[in-house]
Amino acid sequence: MGDLLGLVAKRLGFGLLTLLVISVIIFFMVELLPGDIAQAVLGQGATEENLAALREQMGLNKPAVVRYFEWLGNALTGDFGTSIVTGERVSTIITERFINTLFLAAYAAVIAVPFAVTLGIVVALLRNTLFDRVVNVLTLTSISSPEFFLGYILILYLAVKTGMFPAISSLRPGMTFWELLDRTFLPALTLVLVVTAHMMRMTRAAIINLLASPYIEMARLKGAPPWKVIVRHALPNAWAPIINVIALNLAYLITGVVLVEVVFVYPGIGQALVDAVSKRDFPIVQSCCLIFAATFILLNLAADVAAILTNPRLRHPK
Amino acid sequence: MSVFVIIYFACLIASSCLAAYYEKRPTFLTLFSLTLISFVLGIVGGVPALRFVATAAGLLAFAAGISFAFREFIVIIAPANISKEVRTAPLTAAFGMFVIFTYAIAGIFAPWIAPYGESEVIASAFAMPDENMLLGADQLGRDMFSRIIYGARNTVGLALLATLAAFFMGAFAGLLAATKGGWFDQFMGRFADVIMSIPSLIFALLMLSIFGPQVTVIIVAVAIIYAPRVFRLTRAVAGNVVVMDYIEAAKLRGEKTWYLIRKEILPNSTAPLIAEFGLEFCFVFLLVAGLSFLGLGIQPPTADWGSMVRENATMISFGEITPLIPAAAIALLTVAVNFVVDWMLFRSSGLKE
Repeated sequence: MGDLLGLVAKRLGFGLLTLLVISVIIFFMVELLPGDIAQAVLGQGATEENLAALREQMGLNKPAVVRYFEWLGNALTGDFGTSIVTGERVSTIITERFINTLFLAAYAAVIAVPFAVTLGIVVALLRNTLFDRVVNVLTLTSISSPEFFLGYILILYLAVKTGMFPAISSLRPGMTFWELLDRTFLPALTLVLVVTAHMMRMTRAAIINLLASPYIEMARLKGAPPWKVIVRHALPNAWAPIINVIALNLAYLITGVVLVEVVFVYPGIGQALVDAVSKRDFPIVQSCCLIFAATFILLNLAADVAAILTNPRLRHPK
Repeated sequence: MSVFVIIYFACLIASSCLAAYYEKRPTFLTLFSLTLISFVLGIVGGVPALRFVATAAGLLAFAAGISFAFREFIVIIAPANISKEVRTAPLTAAFGMFVIFTYAIAGIFAPWIAPYGESEVIASAFAMPDENMLLGADQLGRDMFSRIIYGARNTVGLALLATLAAFFMGAFAGLLAATKGGWFDQFMGRFADVIMSIPSLIFALLMLSIFGPQVTVIIVAVAIIYAPRVFRLTRAVAGNVVVMDYIEAAKLRGEKTWYLIRKEILPNSTAPLIAEFGLEFCFVFLLVAGLSFLGLGIQPPTADWGSMVRENATMISFGEITPLIPAAAIALLTVAVNFVVDWMLFRSSGLKE
């Protein structure tokens, strides 16, 4: 067991280090601005006094390294500073939106994961048949379509033409859970379509990869039926790659969510990020990027740790 | 029961009988199961459902026919060694090549094909299609069709430039790392890891918010984001080549690094690199389209598919499909490239299962 814990600890340490490096990149990227943030915010016509006042307010007079550590320390305690444009606390803008985004991603994941894994196993079982080829072409199309294309197609056919679901996912406080599910169904479905295709193809590849190994040949030769070969023999060894696939795609959901939120005008953190980018509201951009990157890395980390933990060779050392 | 339904079922049953007679088992199974499904569909959805199936099948047959013809065309005009390869290509790959070819023509000859200029206002906003305007007008009264044609040049051109930049940076760094080895290799590897652990869209948004949405910034941002992926692959492919005896021999001859890369390593790792270029292009194309959809890509009035979708999105709530055409154009090209890449990967890996 010592080996296993060591591996996990090493992976966790490496993940934290990556996160630190990324926070450095996100912070110092803004320092690359021609002039400084104050100049960029106020524009060319700003007077010296205004510039100095804003610099004072934002603490730009301190050296960048000191500001970085202050920023990081505050971010760790949940304080992301104030917005340049509106002067609101960034944390109040972001917190609720972040919860909304997590809800949307979770909604999509709950539908997509079981569906994709089952479909992946079925397709691996029926590989090289007509069904496999049709599914292959369909998933390839789904992967190749931009998220906004899928989103608008769903809006056109499921909202505008048939009126089954609302086209815009505006949320009000005090909605019942069912109302919430109904309102957010189309954005969730868009995400499901994109992620399922990825996940299914990767599950299929993971299982087919395993089917080439000698012990599967052995199971087949002793006369086990095909579904049993896959479920009893291939699947236990395929869990590690499949869990990896799931986590990778959940991480992918986190970025896919930005475009989908904009299409459906969903009040999530992706929408906040896009708004902030066009207004050049750097504190919001930085905090959103940090949150997205952290979620992305944590999911990848979880994938690696789960892969280590489910690896039969590591769990039962000789 | 309408004439359409009678013809529909007569065609299906006649062709399944033909398939059965000539002992084409898979074709027969497909056709006959389609007939059975059509019975159910016809009862549930009525004539519109059957019409939809017929249109879909017709489109599919049309696509298959055109791919077949295009493949034969390439086989005839290409030199012997290429035509031998193309002859074995699946229809999907031929379809992909046909689509890429069409887009290339549209992009290169845009000013001659498009009836109007890309920023020429010729009608009122959202005017309906007429004999002058194939697809109607957009939100400022510009010809939609002309803008889609110009979009092939602008959007695909930008994605291609960005992919080339990412590819050359990544491939060069990868080859150098494989040849040099040592700390340089280690450093580049870690660096690539860090860049790859930031979600690509987020990283692009961060860079665009700082440097502003200009074409050069987009190209550089995309190159920085995607170069690490190319680097990884090149490093892996070249790593297998570097340990070969002939490289050792060349080193003993006293050849320099640059010669080794150019004359010994590169020719032996082109096949996977070309496939990777196609894949990379798909990612970049989707990213660039996403950025321009968010209003951070090519700036107006230049025609660009992503921003066209966003600007005309209001038409969707009136049940119009015109705003979806640029988005469909993006999807079609990505699918086409994917089909071709699939075939190339299949061929180079020699996979049979």
